[in-house]
Amino acid sequence: MTLPIALDAMGGDFAPAEIIAGARRAVDELGLGVTLVGVPELLGDPMGLEVVACSEVIAMDEDPASSVRKKKDSSLVRAAELVRDGRASAMVSAGNTGATMASALLRMGRLPGVVRPCIATPIPNPGRTPTVLVDAGANAECTPEMLVQFAQMASAYVQVHYGVASPKVGLLSIGEESTKGTPLVKDTHKLLASLEGINFFGNVEGRDLIPSPVDVVVTDGFTGNVALKTLEGGLKFIFATVLEVIATNETTKAAGDVLFEYLLPVASSLTPENQGGAMLLGLNGICVISHGSSNATAIMNAIRVGAEMDRVGVVEKLRTTIRPDQKL
Amino acid sequence: MTADAGTSSSLDRTAILAIVRDQLAEILEKRPDEIPEDVPFSDIGADSLALIELVEALEENLSAFVAGFHIDDEDLEGLLSVRDAVDYVVVKLQAA
Repeated sequence: MTLPIALDAMGGDFAPAEIIAGARRAVDELGLGVTLVGVPELLGDPMGLEVVACSEVIAMDEDPASSVRKKKDSSLVRAAELVRDGRASAMVSAGNTGATMASALLRMGRLPGVVRPCIATPIPNPGRTPTVLVDAGANAECTPEMLVQFAQMASAYVQVHYGVASPKVGLLSIGEESTKGTPLVKDTHKLLASLEGINFFGNVEGRDLIPSPVDVVVTDGFTGNVALKTLEGGLKFIFATVLEVIATNETTKAAGDVLFEYLLPVASSLTPENQGGAMLLGLNGICVISHGSSNATAIMNAIRVGAEMDRVGVVEKLRTTIRPDQKL
Repeated sequence: MTADAGTSSSLDRTAILAIVRDQLAEILEKRPDEIPEDVPFSDIGADSLALIELVEALEENLSAFVAGFHIDDEDLEGLLSVRDAVDYVVVKLQAA
């Protein structure tokens, strides 16, 4: 029997109502099992879903490491424990990203050999499978060895999630030449170029995130997070501008009526709520991080990804990918 | 906080140092001999999350010697190196 997904019902800008609504949709539309983890007095109507009660909530602005230690009965920590204890197949949260990672790391543990887990965020790639950006914000400072592991884990993730046999890996830099970039980037380039089992494409630049010639883009967490937020802001601006232009006058509105049929599917493929959240790679369990502003659709899709990753055995795939004795 | 060589438990300082080093080495994916005693944690790649991992691992490990061994959260700020952590544990075990 498939285990349910443990959903942090208290995390996110629109928690708990939108989170619970997303869970209900995952049950009704996708046939998945979901267990809500939350403070009963704050949950409101759980819409017929099972609830694992807790008494604390880690706020969005709390320090990740210390909050997980201080709030042992928080929804995040309890959700991670459900996965650790084999009562849930994965956890999903739209709450404090750092605390989600800390909860998952401290309760599920790292896979052997993994120096640091990383956040893998899918970036839509029109007409093909998404490009996965690692690290999207878990580790602000990295070593070349960490970036190589991120590349290895993300490649394995892309293989099982998107069915790409030999994912192309690009290293984010400020130029295509291997001589470009920070010392971290140059040292990582040398390692990736010589590593067996990685289909290393070479350096890619910011403009190669979307559309992308590669399946994985590797960078440190600080740069990755900046790149991701820049992309989100840019796309949001473009959508808003197109809508504004269409609303200009009766002529443009009429044109818009014709274009919407073609534009809406494109817009839908690019909106964050349809991407399914970001995976935390490198843990002895599945943790999906959903955007803080997740609505019900985003939560439903994050749950879908969690269930899918359980089905394809992503943790076992990662376990065999990272060799603890690997020398770089 | 100072620490004597001996403790009231079956662990001496050398043994505690080995435990702390081994735990931190596992967390940082390094060899124990790559974990210096007097270098600040931040200089050996141990961030706040790694420290919490270390603290929780030590609590679990040392509870086998002293039931319910616990490191107080307000003391975490003062643990800036392996030496600080070892000295802290020694004093805690002596007081147990």
